[in-house]
Amino acid sequence: MTHKGTATFIAQRTSAVILLPLAIWFLAGAVAHAGSSYDEMRAWLATPLNAVLMGALILAGAFHMRIGLNEIIDDYIGAGARGIFKLLNLFAAAGAAGLAVYSLFVIAA
Amino acid sequence: MTSLRSPARPLSPHLQIWRWTPVMAASITHRATGIALYAGTVLLSVWTFAAALGADAFRPVGAILASPLGLALLAGYAWALLFHAFNGVRHLYWDQGRGLDLKSVKATALAAFGASLALAGVIVGAALMNRAG
Repeated sequence: MTHKGTATFIAQRTSAVILLPLAIWFLAGAVAHAGSSYDEMRAWLATPLNAVLMGALILAGAFHMRIGLNEIIDDYIGAGARGIFKLLNLFAAAGAAGLAVYSLFVIAA
Repeated sequence: MTSLRSPARPLSPHLQIWRWTPVMAASITHRATGIALYAGTVLLSVWTFAAALGADAFRPVGAILASPLGLALLAGYAWALLFHAFNGVRHLYWDQGRGLDLKSVKATALAAFGASLALAGVIVGAALMNRAG
């Protein structure tokens, strides 16, 4: 994140604040559906509110986790391999986000 | 012409350099739970994909989650999320320029561990009760 320190700092804090209420919603939903069948769980996730909140959780989470792992890569990976690791990080985060958005569209449709 | 490429920057000292204190433990646990939550988010994404494919595709995923290993994974995920959230609030508090004295950082580090463990226990207990009954 060379030369973009302040923007990255703000992006990480903003996504953190967005993730806090979403994490509470997610844990509450997970506890409430601990005993649910597949159909009950899917019906819950298919409602517009829950599908949007789950999408927001995974999108904001993917954004936040990419910045966090990039910071760890900066700390512990030497200059030579750093770029490759950051590219893999982007692919993993974007892949997780894309897969979830596609899946939620299918579930909510 | 001077290159815009970054010069060789020093790496961060590794784990064995630091003396273990509550503050240091909270810092390294924040990173460790962050990495765990990265894996958890990827798994959550795969979980939504399996759910989207249908009941047959979801069955093995559901069976893994319902096994003792799966329940331990879910309990660990809940704690990691809670610790990272509580310790994240600590970071947001520091960003206001507050709570940075030694006494405060130690107290809030211990609070992050205590609150996350207690709430994770409540959540796992509630989930198990809900599942049983």
